[in-house]
Amino acid sequence: MNEAVVETVALPAAEPSEGFAELYERTFPRVYAYVASLLRDRSAAEDVTAQAFERAYRKRRSYRAARGSMDAWVFGIARNAALDELRKRKRRAKLESDPEDERATAPEDQADMAIRRETVRAALASLSGQERDLIALKFAGGLSNGEIARVLRVSESNVGTRLHRTITKLREACHDGN
Amino acid sequence: MTETDVLTAIDDALDTGTPTEADPVARELQELALMLRADSPEPADAYSEWLGKRVAQGFPKPFSAKPPWWRPLIQPAAAVGMVGVAVLLVAALAGGLSGSRSDDGGGASGGSVAESAGGGGGAESVAGSGGAAAVAEPGLPAKARSRGFAPGRADRRIERTFALELAMPVEQMQRIADQVTAVTNRHGGFVLSSSVSTGEDSAGGDFNLRIPVTEVRPALRDLAALADVRSQSQTGRDVTPAYVTARDRLQAARAERKSLLRRLETATTDTQAEAIRRRLDIVAGQINALRARLHGLRLRTDYAVVTVSLQAKDGDEGGAGGGSFDDAIHDAGDILVGIAGVLVRVLAVALPLGLIALLGWLAGRALQRRRRESALI
Repeated sequence: MNEAVVETVALPAAEPSEGFAELYERTFPRVYAYVASLLRDRSAAEDVTAQAFERAYRKRRSYRAARGSMDAWVFGIARNAALDELRKRKRRAKLESDPEDERATAPEDQADMAIRRETVRAALASLSGQERDLIALKFAGGLSNGEIARVLRVSESNVGTRLHRTITKLREACHDGN
Repeated sequence: MTETDVLTAIDDALDTGTPTEADPVARELQELALMLRADSPEPADAYSEWLGKRVAQGFPKPFSAKPPWWRPLIQPAAAVGMVGVAVLLVAALAGGLSGSRSDDGGGASGGSVAESAGGGGGAESVAGSGGAAAVAEPGLPAKARSRGFAPGRADRRIERTFALELAMPVEQMQRIADQVTAVTNRHGGFVLSSSVSTGEDSAGGDFNLRIPVTEVRPALRDLAALADVRSQSQTGRDVTPAYVTARDRLQAARAERKSLLRRLETATTDTQAEAIRRRLDIVAGQINALRARLHGLRLRTDYAVVTVSLQAKDGDEGGAGGGSFDDAIHDAGDILVGIAGVLVRVLAVALPLGLIALLGWLAGRALQRRRRESALI
């Protein structure tokens, strides 16, 4: 397991307190998807996801409901762990490479869908690391703009602006790829 | 479409799972959002099962991963050590500053300091009132001596006088009077005269002490510790010129006596011998007088004159015994003022250190965050 420092994340509006198991059940697939999208390495993503949940479990008493949702809190921990992993393993080059995905070569995929998926992945590779982080938080992590703002420590309007700019840039990159 | 419209359309598509917009650009963005979501990696079943089990077990730690008991203490110990070093540095700096002040001013605390130096006979005076127990003796250190009286000359002969006014409850006066004598004897001095009265209407006492100058500093410290120091003063008078003159005249007189003795041996007539004897008598008288003068000067400069005045504390004069309610209130106020003084000093050190620590912590967090974010650049 990789060591990562858990950093307290400023959280948004309150959410009813719940057990850690429920939090895990609700966020695990999305946290994994986010971390794997960021790291582009399934093995490392598994390590970092497990580490993030373990850290969250051990630090669960430091969470304050008045400061925001538990989802954003867990994603903040996972993001810190993923960034530490990225920095430690000097994975910048790999971050910019095409993502690996078992379904990409699935025989049942239709040809045009496969082509579109490859086009989007190629377009994703043209984005900066911060833009890819934003896309991963929004679409793989499934966070709202407000929750993303808490994780990134920026305003919600700033997240909206950056998201609009990034998705537009991604669309144009898809067109350029075609 | 505006930015808000685009973001709303994307959220709608993510919520419903299908593109809903008629506008081609918005619909294309919705399809792109759905594809990004659908393309998200999914965890393997075995991994999900393994992690789910660990969550259910509360993330048990392997035995070998248990850190030693002292590991959590490292950071607090390091922090305490750093703060301790900082406090020591501050204390050392403060001590150095106060030390230099003491050299310059004679160390009288809480009082006014005045110095004066004359031409023929240098004199200094230092006076203070209401001070703490510390009473400095400025003449003993060579450094202070050379500054106050005759720069560059280390064999100055200086008469020193000190005066202390000690305040105490009447019932303690006799005991403290005894201790004054004991302190004087302990430091090799003697009591020249003393008078003590413990009567309710005229409680008080006076001591005229002689204490060797080499012991006067610790003796004054001990005396001041006996009771509250109401006032203190000290003076110094340079008698070096008188001492040197007397010594030179004594040497000259002795030389003359030797010369007269030689002339007496070679005198050829009774008249000559008689005249020489008369002169010898005069010179012998001069020698005796000069010896006595030198002896007196040595005594006056080898022993400091210390006068100690014992006074009853306010409220005790007139016979009222100590321990009244007013005294208790007064003492409590003094204690509170003392505690406040200590707190102010502690805060004077702790606040800057705390501020520095806070700034360091904030800077460390910012640096850590920047280093993390650099992984995305």
